[in-house]
Amino acid sequence: MDVLVVGGGLAGASAISTLRAQGFDGRITLLAEEPVHPYERPPLSKEYLRGETTEPQWVRPPSWYEEQGVDLRLGARAAQVVPGDRVVLLEDGERVPYGRLLVATGVRNRRLEVPGADLPGLFDLRTLADADRLREAAGSATSAVIVGAGFIGCEVAASFRRLGLDVTVVEVFPTPLYRVLGPELGRVVEAMHRDHGVRFVLGEGVASFEGSGRAEAVVTEGGRRLEGDLIVVGVGTKPDAPVGVADERGAVPVGPDLAAESEGVYAAGDVADHDHPIFGRIRVEHYDNAIKMGETAARNLLGAGEVFDDPHWFWSDQYDSQLQVAGFATEWDRMVVRGSLEERSFAAFLLKDGVLRCTVTLDRKLDARRSLPLIRAQARPDPALLADPAVDLRTLRPPEGAG
Amino acid sequence: MSDWVRVADAGDVPEGELRSYTVGNRTVAVANVGGDLQAFDDTCTHHGCSLSEGELDGTVVECPCHGGRFDVITGEVVAGPPAEPVDVFEVVEADGEIRIRARDTD
Ligand SMILES: Cc1cc2nc3c(=O)[nH]c(=O)nc-3n(C[C@H](O)[C@H](O)[C@H](O)COP(=O)(O)OP(=O)(O)OC[C@H]3O[C@@H](n4cnc5c(N)ncnc54)[C@H](O)[C@@H]3O)c2cc1C
Ligand code: FES
Repeated sequence: MDVLVVGGGLAGASAISTLRAQGFDGRITLLAEEPVHPYERPPLSKEYLRGETTEPQWVRPPSWYEEQGVDLRLGARAAQVVPGDRVVLLEDGERVPYGRLLVATGVRNRRLEVPGADLPGLFDLRTLADADRLREAAGSATSAVIVGAGFIGCEVAASFRRLGLDVTVVEVFPTPLYRVLGPELGRVVEAMHRDHGVRFVLGEGVASFEGSGRAEAVVTEGGRRLEGDLIVVGVGTKPDAPVGVADERGAVPVGPDLAAESEGVYAAGDVADHDHPIFGRIRVEHYDNAIKMGETAARNLLGAGEVFDDPHWFWSDQYDSQLQVAGFATEWDRMVVRGSLEERSFAAFLLKDGVLRCTVTLDRKLDARRSLPLIRAQARPDPALLADPAVDLRTLRPPEGAG
Repeated sequence: MSDWVRVADAGDVPEGELRSYTVGNRTVAVANVGGDLQAFDDTCTHHGCSLSEGELDGTVVECPCHGGRFDVITGEVVAGPPAEPVDVFEVVEADGEIRIRARDTD
């Protein structure tokens, strides 16, 4: 049996690592569109962008692929999957057959469809090459306008402040991170950035970009004109699966075991639209999830038949603070806070009908990860105990088999 | 050759818990696994977070930053982002003291 992995990112490389660790000694081919070995993206908006590290953080050392007998094809983009023939077509027409296929192609950045969006000098951030361009440009800039206060926009804002740039952030929602954290926690993040000197224009979309020859200013729907030496757009993403396995949004729909509809095809990481046993159908863009889905998909390619029920967890570093989010919630009817939102040291527990769905922490690292078993068990912890910082969350775990 | 260094009083690391100590130019974490002490480098090989601030689950320590998991007895990576193992060191609890023998890093 030959295994073909499309997408040389975190999920793809993690899957290969697991295949070999499981003793699979068949042929493994990795098609990777980017011209570099698989690397980790999180530093690109943090240490790497600030120039504190200059080496990419490799998922595995570059020599590892050859040692593991992986046929690594850098710069090769899969154009199409033909599941009926069990073959992947490359852009130059080459046909690569497969026994099992793992799609781990991640996401692309969304563009704003407004006048001026094609002006040169607009930056976005996804790849190592993007980060190199942005880092170089930041070196000679004194001011930046960031469009979008999602995780990437917020992290870039924090890194740019560290580098001494004057930073303005434009966001269409009323607070940063509004869609993930809601208004109350979003305002805490806003206050943290304001304390570090970031200016915000909130609740206003972008009407256009302006400049003579290159982008020099963002014009908001409210008519404000914000000039910056550097303009960075971080307004969300679009999944990037090849034709033949992609749904109408570009994702790969997979079952609880990460298997796609077509025989022998699996998906993992940002591109996988997963039927999650706890949360229903969701697609997340988290580092930890890409590793874990890659590992599970690899075992399932080999016939393990595991259900992927990881409760999800991610982090974001901004200034000297670390935000962590465990679980997943788009709606909740109660928020219980342990610690203090004002002092920015807290765990916020989001509950729906009494069930703990999601825990957001700022500089209370252990409480996020300690929530995971509770979220997985769909536990209904006593809010008074959740709010009490003296209570170790591990003592609230329901007994094995219950809950 | 490195020497044994006293880092704490016997009993200072309760069962199931983690502590950290400075030994030479290293920070060494000590875990108490069911009454047995295990010593290993406190610095996660991924991005350098302190493993003793993480969670001990049986013989596995979990890094608080990105969830990397190491076996505290062998130092091997069990799961998660770190690619390299952590160094492990000799540790004894004797004569009312906890002592560690750790090589300096280069
Ligand atoms: C700047 C930045 C900072 C981040 N910070 C954090 C963080 O702090 N915490 C966190 O939890 N998550 C963070 N993330 C998210 C995390 O990096 C992703 O969730 C993770 O990389 C997803 O892994 P993946 O393998 O699914 O996709 P990716 O790592 O994106 O890899 C997909 C690869 O597939 C390639 N590809 C696409 N189409 C094809 C094709 N047709 N043929 C061949 N190759 C193809 C792409 O070029 C890409 O290299 C960050 C992301 C970015 C961009
Ligand atoms: S620093 Fe330990 S897992 Fe990342």
